[in-house]
Amino acid sequence: MGIGKKWAMSALAACFMLTMAGCGSNNAAGGNAAAGESIKIATDASYAPMEYMDTDKIKGFDIDFIKAVMEEAGVKYTITNTGWDTMLTSVQQGTEYQAGVSSVSITDERKETYDYSIPYFESTNMIMVKEGSDIKSALDLKDKVVAVQGATTADTLMSDIMGVDNTNLKRFDSNAVALMELNAGGADAVVADIAIVNEYIKNNPNEKLTGILDKENFGSEYYGVLYPKGSEWKAKLDPAIKTVIENGKYAEIYKEWFGEEPDTAALLSAE
Amino acid sequence: MDFRFDLIVHYLPVFLRGTLFTIGVSIVSILIGSVLGLGIGFGKMAPRAIYRWPFHLYINFFRGTPLYVQILIVHFGLIPAFYGTTNVLMTSFIALSLNSAAYSAEIFRAGIQSIDPGQREAALSLGMSKWQAMRFIILPQAIKRMVPAFGNEFIVLVKDSSLLALVAAPEIMFWSNTMKGQYLRIWEPYLTAALIYFVLTYSLSKLLNYIERKV
Repeated sequence: MGIGKKWAMSALAACFMLTMAGCGSNNAAGGNAAAGESIKIATDASYAPMEYMDTDKIKGFDIDFIKAVMEEAGVKYTITNTGWDTMLTSVQQGTEYQAGVSSVSITDERKETYDYSIPYFESTNMIMVKEGSDIKSALDLKDKVVAVQGATTADTLMSDIMGVDNTNLKRFDSNAVALMELNAGGADAVVADIAIVNEYIKNNPNEKLTGILDKENFGSEYYGVLYPKGSEWKAKLDPAIKTVIENGKYAEIYKEWFGEEPDTAALLSAE
Repeated sequence: MDFRFDLIVHYLPVFLRGTLFTIGVSIVSILIGSVLGLGIGFGKMAPRAIYRWPFHLYINFFRGTPLYVQILIVHFGLIPAFYGTTNVLMTSFIALSLNSAAYSAEIFRAGIQSIDPGQREAALSLGMSKWQAMRFIILPQAIKRMVPAFGNEFIVLVKDSSLLALVAAPEIMFWSNTMKGQYLRIWEPYLTAALIYFVLTYSLSKLLNYIERKV
């Protein structure tokens, strides 16, 4: 009896520890963290190649970028895959996680609830259609069926063009499902971040897809690190972000992920 | 914590449309589901095992797999196979009806089998046919016992319809996610959605209590 109980307890403890380890928390010590300051960062690692899980490790451009920033600032940090919703609430509260890094676009509406770092990434939305489609620009999408990932800037842009209450604008939980909808014939186009669209077209050459860039209607947008309102981390980390962009470290990471040079001048003057 | 009621007011019209969609889909699905369920329930009570097993398989499949996956299969597999493209309204009806039919079948079967076999024997010995015994003796008693279970199933169905947001069906959770995306705020959209579901299911359970007393 007693032994059985002990076994059950240790099995339970083992399960618990496995679960904790499986949370995908990458611990990384900063370079010269003399002050011993540390920050816990949340992310939604389901946005390749920006941040995604490679089995139990978080990888991606944002992850390498934040590592460089923390090394520059000499701050210890941990980054945890919490999923999107948890990231939003916990960063807003600021008690468990003090920052969120997850390709979060800076918009005025969102600034009412959060503080943002200086912009660290320039992006734009792109239209993806099947080859032979008559869609040429964003305005052609007005009367079409368009799939987007909900809660993204693609959603916001298309809501402005098509109307927020237009049910031909299909909002899915993830870009992956939005892309499936296009493939299954349930949508005429998908709108998503350029990095996502290019990655998908590259990985699925048999599906005969093309990407349409419309700089006129889909302007540049910038990603920022998400902080709670009034966070002191903004003042502490903004200089480090600036340095990383200026000293070439940023360009190095950028080239590694996207194979091209970033326009750092535009980024630094974007705020 | 600050709570922005003005955002909710701004979104209220679309939330109402989402509510209508949810109600419509739930009612249609429970109706189709119970008709199918009745057939499947009788099928599962068939006298010979060979006739029973397809119904048995159906019930076990739909009760044993997550509705989440069933919705994806219907949306991206079943519907395109017939229509050539996806159709979110058909997905909503079919996925929920098929799922609900499995549960309804078990409710019918349990209700009918809960009636003492002596009732049937007595009816037959009075000279009633098998059909008459079912129609006048067993079903009236069984239905009384089924009402609470059916009410439960209907309430579960209303809440489960929220999973349809997965394939962008314009129901309550869909609009809730839309609102979240615009403002990156969690509590205003989700608590509003929760409140709407609560009002729906609470009024439904009141209605069912009333019916239960009447039957």
